[in-house]
Amino acid sequence: MRESRVCICATALMAVCFVSGSSALGAAAVPDLSGTYWATTYSPKIQVMGGGDPPLNAAGKTAYDTNRAGLRSGSLPDPARKVCLPDGVPRVLETPYPFEVFQLPPGQVTFVHELNHQIRPIQLDGQLPKYEDVVNFLNYGGHQVGHYEGDTLVIQSNGFNDQTFLDSTGLPHSDRLETTERVRKVGTQLEDVVTIHDPAYYTKDWQARFVYARRDDVRLMDYACGDKHRDLSSVKGVADVRAARAAGRFP
Amino acid sequence: MSKTAFRLGATLAGLCGAAALLLPALAADSKSDSAVPPFMLPATAGWGANINPQVDPEMWLPDDYLHGEASVKRAISLGAPPNRVVPYLNARMFNEYMPPVSGIGPVMDGPEHPFYNNAVQRAIGKNSSYRVADLNSEAGKNLMPWAVDALMKQNALALQGRNGETRQARCWETGVPDIHEAPQGLYFIQTPKEVVMYQGGRVRHVYMNVPHTKNPAPSWYGESIGHYEGDTLVVDTIGLNTVTFVDGYRTPHTTQEHVVERFKIVNGGKALDVSFTVDDAGTFYKPWSGRRPRYRENARMAEDTCAANNDDKFNLGFDPVPTATNPDF
Repeated sequence: MRESRVCICATALMAVCFVSGSSALGAAAVPDLSGTYWATTYSPKIQVMGGGDPPLNAAGKTAYDTNRAGLRSGSLPDPARKVCLPDGVPRVLETPYPFEVFQLPPGQVTFVHELNHQIRPIQLDGQLPKYEDVVNFLNYGGHQVGHYEGDTLVIQSNGFNDQTFLDSTGLPHSDRLETTERVRKVGTQLEDVVTIHDPAYYTKDWQARFVYARRDDVRLMDYACGDKHRDLSSVKGVADVRAARAAGRFP
Repeated sequence: MSKTAFRLGATLAGLCGAAALLLPALAADSKSDSAVPPFMLPATAGWGANINPQVDPEMWLPDDYLHGEASVKRAISLGAPPNRVVPYLNARMFNEYMPPVSGIGPVMDGPEHPFYNNAVQRAIGKNSSYRVADLNSEAGKNLMPWAVDALMKQNALALQGRNGETRQARCWETGVPDIHEAPQGLYFIQTPKEVVMYQGGRVRHVYMNVPHTKNPAPSWYGESIGHYEGDTLVVDTIGLNTVTFVDGYRTPHTTQEHVVERFKIVNGGKALDVSFTVDDAGTFYKPWSGRRPRYRENARMAEDTCAANNDDKFNLGFDPVPTATNPDF
């Protein structure tokens, strides 16, 4: 019994030494970003930070026109909405449904989304792979790694397949897309500023900002494609999109 | 204890006490952490199912299942060669429940129409087959007439080679306890207030140390509340919708379904023992139980892409993957 107590004490001391040692070395504490969050506004078209339209190049414009025409006529499927496949970045950020952020399990930050029962596992112990190393392993959500810079979680992603759009209007991306998100608390809100880097379709890098209200009063619900889902009347913009769709207009 | 060790112990105890005084919050955290069994593994690991039992020495299954007299007898009655019983029983754990140690178990197959999943096919060289429920078994006789009728219809379809895939294979939400049949790895996120379970696109939220709400609206995974009993996580679930089945044989249930699951880490941390009891006074005469062990594997949590290119290409009467005809926003 005494030996086990000694052991526990030694472990506690090691923890104390580790914590104080880290502080002495100047390593900042990890910001607490955990919680349940829910957007208060929704726009099917991604809002470029600073205003204006996304800086599409000629190839990007052609791809966008093709996507819009295909989505409007129904000839181009939107798998993220039709069969609830993952949205990819940054479209997952424009979700009008709540999500949870866990700075767990150890070595990972996990976003658990209600929409499409998506998760985003962000590795804290890895480095963004080279394009050449992931080109044969492309997926919907990309390969995501993260690290902390002061009060901010920086998430870098690449390795996206070509089955997703950047927003619900069909904004295109290539499989060279790389995104960098800076996620932090601003007051009680969570802010995610994403930088889009995709020279195949855009003349320069550009950014979009998403803000979510802290909603620990909300429990995430089950989400299956085709179900009647939760009430989104608190999210400004959703009603307009629904009205437009009901009137046969493409948002 | 030697003098030196005693001195060291006393010094440590003193320092430890000081540390506890200085950092009461840290001391409290350490205490509560040590009391919670660690179902949440590091990001590089999860609780896998038995994908390849023949080559995986880490696989863990209870002795009563692998070597028990009744279990071995049943395996042989279902076509397992006497010298391949253990590989056969291993392989069945690819996508099935394990019967309980005693009492009424889950609906399963019978000697007339044995079920051979793809792993069993490899283990004993039989052609794979669809599930056909044995309605003459103890579990079959535990079903109320409406549930027997539903299973007879499904059995007839399966025998025609139609609609033989499970709901999880068709990307549907499985409900509880059917989530335990699915072969994908199970991952836990544990906080004091909530335990999240993630398994191949299926997400469950278990709220800890709170009562059930009154009349929760029926949903795919229902309302789950949990608590720890020593080294065991106990999860109590009600409010399940009736769109799901309780097993891969498509045994139906009513909204009265009530499931209690018990999760416990065994085999020196290498395996997860999952057992559950299903009670539904609208479907079963008596509660029944099942098990589904999993084992620790090195595999990260990954996105779910079940619905990608998963149409019924050969027109085998499968459920369509869940589809939204019109986006809702």
